[in-house]
Amino acid sequence: MIRAGLDMRHVTVTLMRDDLPRASLVLAELEAFAPDDRPLLESELPEIPGVGFRDRIRRAWGYLDRLGTIMGELPVATAPLPAIAINREQVVEVEEWLKHAWEQCAPCEAMVRKVEDEYHELENLESSLADFADLDFDLGRLQSDRGHLDLRLGSIPADNLERLREVLTLSNHLILNVAGEGDTLRILVAGARDAAETLDSVLLAAAFQPLTIPESFDNNPEALREELRLKRQELDEVTEAMRLRIDNWRDSNRQAVAHATQLLEAAEPYVSLHGAARSRGPLAALQGWVPAQRLGDVEARLKAALRLPFVIASREPGDDERHLVPVPANNRGLLRPFALLVQQYGIPRFGEFDPTILFAITFAGMFGMMFGDIGHGAIILIVGVLLRRRLGAFTYLFALAGLSSMLFGWLYGSVFGVEHWIEPLWIAPMSDPIYMLTVAFGWGVVFLTIGSIIAISNRLASGDAAGALFGAGGVIALVLYLALLVGLFELAEGRDFPLPVTILLLITLALLVVYQWQSSDAPYGERIFTTIIETFEIVNGYVTSSLSFLRVAAFSLNHVALSLAVFTLADGMGTIGHGITLVLGNLFIIVLEGIIVAIQTLRLEYYEGFSRYFYGDGTPFKPLRVGRSQTP
Amino acid sequence: MSNIAHQAYLRTRLAILSSQLLGKPHLAELGRLPIDELAEQTGYSAVKGDTESARLATFERLLMQSWLDELSALLRPLEGPARRLLTQWASRYELLNIKAIVRGKMGRLPIGEIERSLFRLPGYLSLNHDTLLHTDSIPELLRQLEKTRYRRIARQALRRYEERPDPFLLDATLDQQFYSELIARAQLLTGTDRDEILGLIGRIVDRHNLVWSLRYRFNYGLQSSEVVYLAIDGGRLLNRRQLQQVLQADSLPEALQRLPDGLLRRHEMPQALTLIEAAMLAELDEYAARAMRLSPSVLTSVLAYLVLRYGEITALYAIMHARVHGLPDDLLSEALDPLHEVAA
Repeated sequence: MIRAGLDMRHVTVTLMRDDLPRASLVLAELEAFAPDDRPLLESELPEIPGVGFRDRIRRAWGYLDRLGTIMGELPVATAPLPAIAINREQVVEVEEWLKHAWEQCAPCEAMVRKVEDEYHELENLESSLADFADLDFDLGRLQSDRGHLDLRLGSIPADNLERLREVLTLSNHLILNVAGEGDTLRILVAGARDAAETLDSVLLAAAFQPLTIPESFDNNPEALREELRLKRQELDEVTEAMRLRIDNWRDSNRQAVAHATQLLEAAEPYVSLHGAARSRGPLAALQGWVPAQRLGDVEARLKAALRLPFVIASREPGDDERHLVPVPANNRGLLRPFALLVQQYGIPRFGEFDPTILFAITFAGMFGMMFGDIGHGAIILIVGVLLRRRLGAFTYLFALAGLSSMLFGWLYGSVFGVEHWIEPLWIAPMSDPIYMLTVAFGWGVVFLTIGSIIAISNRLASGDAAGALFGAGGVIALVLYLALLVGLFELAEGRDFPLPVTILLLITLALLVVYQWQSSDAPYGERIFTTIIETFEIVNGYVTSSLSFLRVAAFSLNHVALSLAVFTLADGMGTIGHGITLVLGNLFIIVLEGIIVAIQTLRLEYYEGFSRYFYGDGTPFKPLRVGRSQTP
Repeated sequence: MSNIAHQAYLRTRLAILSSQLLGKPHLAELGRLPIDELAEQTGYSAVKGDTESARLATFERLLMQSWLDELSALLRPLEGPARRLLTQWASRYELLNIKAIVRGKMGRLPIGEIERSLFRLPGYLSLNHDTLLHTDSIPELLRQLEKTRYRRIARQALRRYEERPDPFLLDATLDQQFYSELIARAQLLTGTDRDEILGLIGRIVDRHNLVWSLRYRFNYGLQSSEVVYLAIDGGRLLNRRQLQQVLQADSLPEALQRLPDGLLRRHEMPQALTLIEAAMLAELDEYAARAMRLSPSVLTSVLAYLVLRYGEITALYAIMHARVHGLPDDLLSEALDPLHEVAA
């Protein structure tokens, strides 16, 4: 698929309202239908069905999520999702059951939180007593409410310390001691007792958590330790009791929770339709986008599943809908990792050239040219295959990069940096660096020319004829670039800059200036400025982008130079050191150079390629799916 | 930003966008138009909806969307700290949504009603409102918030809420985080950009601090030290010590007498909080308008434009809202320009 999304069709399914949930479930199972929620049928079918249904489902998910937070992991149904179409009564029942379940479990949740807070306080208290043990300060005074001094011991979030210190100083209070590290700090605050109200209010704003000093603190350290130990034991017992209660509840309600989850998942497609489903009385319609090759599937599955009659109509997208047509990713097999990298940059517009295939070919080519080595390429290939489970789709990228590296290694005659083991099929890079740089520059010119041609065709496909002709990367800019190259080539060959080329340059430059001037509606001063800048940017962009490709040759030379450095180092060592240096050196080359070359290749693709011809502002194809992920 | 082409792009964009700002006189004129003509001029007539409330909500969202589109266009050539600064500024809508959910929950409003009042945000502002909306209580909402990038403040807010369930404590905490992140991002800029942008943000913080501090102190009766604690760092004309002195006054008029030089000096000293807010806003607008035209930092000019445009969007929505609900002319003009009305 060179042009993105050209095979998409707009589909309208007219059916009976009672069949809507079933139809949505069928479409979700097919994963071939992206809802279109424009109000195209609003006049004939003014209602959006299932609005109340949607709120109930969302509330039910809310209860389920909360149950999940206290139970750790919710029970999962062992049987696959049944092909059921959920109805209103079932939704009400599920919501009511989940609400009731939550009401049963909520006290446990509150208790768990309380116990967590008490643990936290206990830890803080133990730490505080240790902190203050070395201070020449009678902490027993914290228990007393006699005297003029108001002392508070407690914890605050670390972020609040400086602000609190400043404000307390302004209100004649003092932070006597700060201890602890991380997010929470323990502090001791002192102030006048008659300003307690002020202190209270500031400490509240600072999220101060007071610590209570135990009664036994003042007179008996042993008794204090025992008191704290008993407190901890008590908390452990409560925690264990809570855990048992939660486990019991989960075990006795395992089936019911799993069933509720399944029902909610089955209801999700219907809920996710929003305005894509409309109705009036018993009649309803569904509208969305379907890939043409899946239309047969859709019709057949609906025929098999729906009990009542329905009509399915499809058409090609209209000219005014081009920007709305969702585009499926070109991500099958080998292309998948490259499609993911393209998506990092953007989604192709409808009708736009999908760069995935070109990207995959040029990426592999440039990577190999920069990192051509049979041995290193083989290791990249083997690593990719060995780590295929972790790498997933990116295994193909590793494999392709490794193979390309091996191919260019053969062309360069390089195996683990050794250039005399095999005869190069083409050239050893270091033997003629200028030739390598010329080849890289030539490749850059070809790459940029292809990019410009794609940009022109993309703009024409989007109806932007002026942009295709006069814009950056358009016909005129491309002619100017090629003319400039011809002129410079002639100069480099020691000949004069040809007159026809000079005339062509002046004409194309003038056309660009006029176009830039016409495109701007800024005041005159700024218009002159922006016209000059934009035109300069177009010409300069081509020149700098072409030079940017010299790195392709530079890295192939760099690879040889790095290998030479490793051999030189290894030669200075003894037999064992020689071997270790060679192994570590080659590992270093594979990891460091491999990463740098991959980044440089991506950079060339994104900045010199995509930015030139790829709009990337298309709408991704997000089909209706079974399950929760689609809930907005 | 060092690239001259990007500077030129931004200046050009800004020149075009700023020429489309309506300005106070035009806004006042719009406020005097009959509803049909007003709807035609503002694009409200093309907005669809089952009820007027739904239409107004859509209209507000469209206005916000235009602001976000403009922001996206201005963000295009920016990268690094400059880009992150403006993105943070856009997250004020996220902040407004959280506040709306909290207030809605406190007022026990139906979920649908709260949801209608929320802004639909672009991808880079990625808070999951749905989860927050479907919580049973404020503490639970705050616990959900702990799972977002607001984690740091959610825990504090929860602790405060358990002690004293006031919405403004949460509001103040959210504002503090928003501005401290904004200032932290501004600190990462260099040279003129940094100085100029901190100047503009400082004015915004001054306005926020003065208005909210006076409100907390004299309307809600909070202790002055607590109010000072809740104030945001980074003000230009009003630091924490000065604010403390102002708030230690026994009454609002006395507090106003204690204001430092430079604050509210271009207007006759207003005596009501709404007028103080209007006067501070007018001073900020003047400062932002000057920064937009004359600041040597294009980034500051961009932020100044966004501040002014946001103000106009708010005013435009208020006019439409008032007209749809039949607010009398005199009340509307007073709401649009309270200072002028008082002077008259």
